[in-house]
Amino acid sequence: MSTLDISSDPRDTGLDERALARRLADLWQTPRGIIGTLSSVDHKIIGRRYIVTAFFFLLLGGVLALAIRIQLAKPENRFLAPDLYNQVFTVHGANMMFLFAVPVMEAFAVYLVPLMIGTRNIAFPRLNAFSYWIYLPGGITLWVAFALDMGPDVGWFAYVPLSGPQYGAGKRADIWAQMITFTEVSALAVAVELVVTIFKQRAPGMSLDKIPLFVWSMLVTSFLIIMAMPAIMVASTTLILDRLVGTHFYNPAEGGDVLLWQHLFWFFGHPEVYIIFLPAVGMVSTIVSTFARRPIFGYLPLVLALFATGILAFGLWVHHMFVVGLPRVGESFFTASSMAIAVPNGIQIFCWLATLWDGRPVFKTPLLFVIAFIITFVIGGLTGVMVASVPLDTQVHDTYFVVAHFHYVLVGGAVFPLLGAVYYWYPKIIGRMMSERLGRWVAGLVFVGFNLTFFPMHILGLIGMPRRVYTYGPEMNWGSINLFVSLSAAILAAGFLLFFVDAIRSAFSGEPAPENPWNAPTLEWATSSPPPSYNFERIPVVSSSDPLWETPETLPVATGLRTDRRELLLTSLSEANPQARESSPRDSIWPFLAAIATTVMLISSIFSAWAVVWGSVPIAVTLIAWFWPKGTPEDAA
Amino acid sequence: MRLVVVMPFAMLALAGCQREERSLRLDPPVEAGLDEVRVMSNGIGGAPPKVYVALGRPYENNAFDLDQGKRLYDWFGCTGCHAHGGGNTGPAFLDGWWQYGADPVSIFVSIRDGRTAGMPAFGRYLTTEQIWQLTGYVQTIGAYSAKTAAPSRNDEMQSRPSENRAPATLGALQPPSR
Repeated sequence: MSTLDISSDPRDTGLDERALARRLADLWQTPRGIIGTLSSVDHKIIGRRYIVTAFFFLLLGGVLALAIRIQLAKPENRFLAPDLYNQVFTVHGANMMFLFAVPVMEAFAVYLVPLMIGTRNIAFPRLNAFSYWIYLPGGITLWVAFALDMGPDVGWFAYVPLSGPQYGAGKRADIWAQMITFTEVSALAVAVELVVTIFKQRAPGMSLDKIPLFVWSMLVTSFLIIMAMPAIMVASTTLILDRLVGTHFYNPAEGGDVLLWQHLFWFFGHPEVYIIFLPAVGMVSTIVSTFARRPIFGYLPLVLALFATGILAFGLWVHHMFVVGLPRVGESFFTASSMAIAVPNGIQIFCWLATLWDGRPVFKTPLLFVIAFIITFVIGGLTGVMVASVPLDTQVHDTYFVVAHFHYVLVGGAVFPLLGAVYYWYPKIIGRMMSERLGRWVAGLVFVGFNLTFFPMHILGLIGMPRRVYTYGPEMNWGSINLFVSLSAAILAAGFLLFFVDAIRSAFSGEPAPENPWNAPTLEWATSSPPPSYNFERIPVVSSSDPLWETPETLPVATGLRTDRRELLLTSLSEANPQARESSPRDSIWPFLAAIATTVMLISSIFSAWAVVWGSVPIAVTLIAWFWPKGTPEDAA
Repeated sequence: MRLVVVMPFAMLALAGCQREERSLRLDPPVEAGLDEVRVMSNGIGGAPPKVYVALGRPYENNAFDLDQGKRLYDWFGCTGCHAHGGGNTGPAFLDGWWQYGADPVSIFVSIRDGRTAGMPAFGRYLTTEQIWQLTGYVQTIGAYSAKTAAPSRNDEMQSRPSENRAPATLGALQPPSR
């Protein structure tokens, strides 16, 4: 603190622009060096790390997908042995769901939400740092295990008894269960931060009806995470207890229940797909509004659709279990609720179409991805309604029809908007534009490659090809379609490769980005690209849901925050009236060390239950150090 | 920076990988070599095959092989006489008393060639690899010290603590009264 030159009045009111920027930079800057890097609590640095790591896992998972397609390209292929194939499809699924899709959506929120609502940092920034440092080892665990031929081989949902003590030999299923623990801890941490940030740190004037739709979608997503993740925590913990300590949660002979696993897993697993999908919806709303050059059509129905989807998400998990033998009324109920979710999603689609219809759309790359999304997602939604009906589901359960369906909704519904979001926010995050010319190629290749790859899988499923088989006989006559699918996968892969090339190349030689290259309406475009460590020199004041369109020349700001400590403005929940000035924590190495200690405990617990006891000692030490009162200005209320 | 994080994991995982290796299909010469136990003239004890030693005594500390052994133990009716280690018409494994020797070679020979007291020969029904897997598993039933690898409990009624918890102990070594 001694380096700061503090005049008698610590507030920013009387300072001119330049002096203010210098003071804020001194205050919020992440220090250089390795300790500084590991200690950073800047939501932008952490968000960027998250995004890069998640896309790295996407790349790895994509390589596995290609390996699967090579293996299935012709009947009785010998490219992957059956045991390895089991690991490959399990690691592909687990990696894409837990290490890519959920973290990358949260990563974008960690980066963007504080900027979009006009605050200086996310709430609980040290927890934010911890969440990244616990996510990374979780991913490394899975991939190191896979490289050592002990990757999980029980499917990404790890059904018992296959993953249980009797049939899941070795540590493979334990690796899966512990990887879950890592990613759930990190996801829960981020969800809590986002809820608090969105509820309490919005810019003055940003009442509930002026919150950007991406922020709304992340709020709903965060609540889904908070309510869904505990189910999988219970599931993976009880599984590891069964395997390691010899409990009997899933042993029917001793009073356990195998179906309990499926209920717990899908009570999490179905909301999980909305945890992935809803942020994408928010991205789509943002992109559509910006490029249609008009405020989004149907703001209120869109927000309500988010809530409706979020609530319905918890009422339809059993449609994953139609073939386990349910009472008829149960099947009917879950069929109805599964079909009902098409209603809010239909409303959203029509709102976006209306926005585009009424606007003057500019077809830049992000909007191309959104259009690809709308087409692909509608197809996926239609097959979703089909598999929601019990007779059809009974027929196509565990076939490639289901594989086609969920890739249509996950890749079409989440990855397409995500790629659009990368093209859209890349200038803000990196400070350089991505190539528009390459972007069009990427959008075209990915869209065409995806549909050519996955549409024929519907047919494969209908003619009976089951999922998770490592090969098939020539007499099944699936060979030609599979060959077509595998060749189309090469087009899809080329699209992704081009995307990575563009992203890496643009980081070094892209055209420098102005503050607001798309003429977008939301607050993150009101600061420089990339934003300074303190986000905004002065906290903006908002009077509409599209503040930069409402007052394009000058944005009203609030003053009065101190410049001798990291300080944020807290506002009221619904009206966003200013309530208090609140300190924001400084950098700390302890979240990193706490994450290391937790990692050691979680990994060791795979090998001995005693690791939980002894491993909690270092965790306690690091947490005590983390929360030790420092006497710094941040501690003063 | 990443390296600092990766290294402990890599080391930990490498330490664990011996117990996790899966040989799903043995080379025929290895399989043939594994059959060449040299037994003492009284049929108890002897030298294990050279290839068995060269491979690092795999069937005693590999989780997958132990699990396979456990499965074979059920499938080939071992429980009929030995129960789940407690013994019935056949001797118990839990009491630590090995009538024909406690070393892997003796157990291997017992399974392969049978014993005069009523143990049938299983050499006709099992491959050499399977006999070794079974040998490894049978050894763990009566083990008095924890191993790095163990199969875990079955999904059935439990007669004793799960195998991968501390070793099953039933008191001191006592010759069976029978």
